[in-house]
Amino acid sequence: MSAWDIIVSEAPRFFTWWNLKFLVEALGNTLIASVLGCALGYALGFALAALRLPQLVPFAPLRALCVLWVEIFRRIPFLVLLLLVFFLSQFAGLEAPLWSVAVAAVAIRMSALAAENVRAGLESVRPTQWEAALTMNLRPWTVLGRIVLPQAWRVILPPSIAHVLSMVKETSLVSQIGFIEITFAAKMLTQRGFSALLTYGTALVLYFLVGWALASLGRWAERRLTTRATAPSPAAPRAASPLPAP
Amino acid sequence: MTLQYGQIWQYLPDFLMGALVALWIAAVAFAGGLVIGLFGAAVLSYGPWPARAAVGAYVRFFTWTPQLVQIFFLFFALPEVGIILSPVTAVLIGMTLNAGAYLTEIERAGFASVPQAELDAADCMGFSRLQIVWYVIAPHVIRALYPALSNHYIIMTLGTSMAAIFGVEELTGRALNANAISFRSVEIFSVVALIYIALTIIASTLLWLVGRWMFRIRAKVF
Repeated sequence: MSAWDIIVSEAPRFFTWWNLKFLVEALGNTLIASVLGCALGYALGFALAALRLPQLVPFAPLRALCVLWVEIFRRIPFLVLLLLVFFLSQFAGLEAPLWSVAVAAVAIRMSALAAENVRAGLESVRPTQWEAALTMNLRPWTVLGRIVLPQAWRVILPPSIAHVLSMVKETSLVSQIGFIEITFAAKMLTQRGFSALLTYGTALVLYFLVGWALASLGRWAERRLTTRATAPSPAAPRAASPLPAP
Repeated sequence: MTLQYGQIWQYLPDFLMGALVALWIAAVAFAGGLVIGLFGAAVLSYGPWPARAAVGAYVRFFTWTPQLVQIFFLFFALPEVGIILSPVTAVLIGMTLNAGAYLTEIERAGFASVPQAELDAADCMGFSRLQIVWYVIAPHVIRALYPALSNHYIIMTLGTSMAAIFGVEELTGRALNANAISFRSVEIFSVVALIYIALTIIASTLLWLVGRWMFRIRAKVF
């Protein structure tokens, strides 16, 4: 049978109310895990990037620790990181629900990517801004919040939306520990006897739609941020290889 | 319960061989992706619109969907239409197509980095087409692309870990096997994580040195 025949003959049996509900719930789980993980990861990544600023932290070992955190978690494959978090939570005797393991793994991974992105944003603000504000006796954290971040925001935001997309894709690996997101749902439906062409095909379409939505959002944000910029922004330094996920 | 690292040292040589398999898979898929990317970037830059639209759709599809699900599709769905792939083949094809999409985007940016003035100057000085490619285009493109390409190779080396899900015995696959025998999960996966870190740092350093000596690139790799 050709692929088309299989799809046509199985589609009425596959696209039932219950299967669709199951897939939509799985899509919701994918989005919740990746968005929540990204939010936590960005909070952590922001802290890591801020603690790397010599203006804020006049203590080199702490700055070095932040660099170490970023370098370590950039270089561990997400699958290995996920399994490590999973087994560590068992080892520590936590009865952690699967979604929290997923969110924790995404957050740790994201923190390393976010820290690089935020750092690139913070470095895109001219150092004279820091010097002027510090000379005027503003406290360093006030300078960061009131002067540097509002300018760095335009550099930080566009890549962060791409990061959410890459985390949506990374969460497909969470199917390996049994969290019911799109990939796991497709796997379950395949095991219930539906054609893998349909189940994985549907999963790919769902991911594609999410990717489309996020890419459109990213383009919109970028356009808005660049048209509203009044002063020409200084050339942003490239983030040192942010290692996004394929 | 305590950590027992003593019990897993015996697996270390096996893991290191697995790391070589990971590098090998990444290298093969990267080479394939480079060729697809070159072709795709050429089409996007100079092709007619139907070809551009097709390449654009290919790039979007493969960059917006997870590599894991793409390989699942190749591995589980294609047998239904009579195409049966071995795990390694499915992973290699999936990773190559995925890399091809990303490298198309990267290489297109490289093509755009050649200044028209230099091409005109070379033309005036009577360079042959081959000389233009070799002396004018190649240095620009290589210099513009090298950091992004080496970065992508590292990403792909990390990406090979998902081959374990299909039963390929690379580093993560061997870790899963060792875990099934010894149940020393935390110890095994922490050691494997360290191997990945060491592997990518070594690979980054080598790529940086090659870039420095062969193409005089001073880009940051770390």
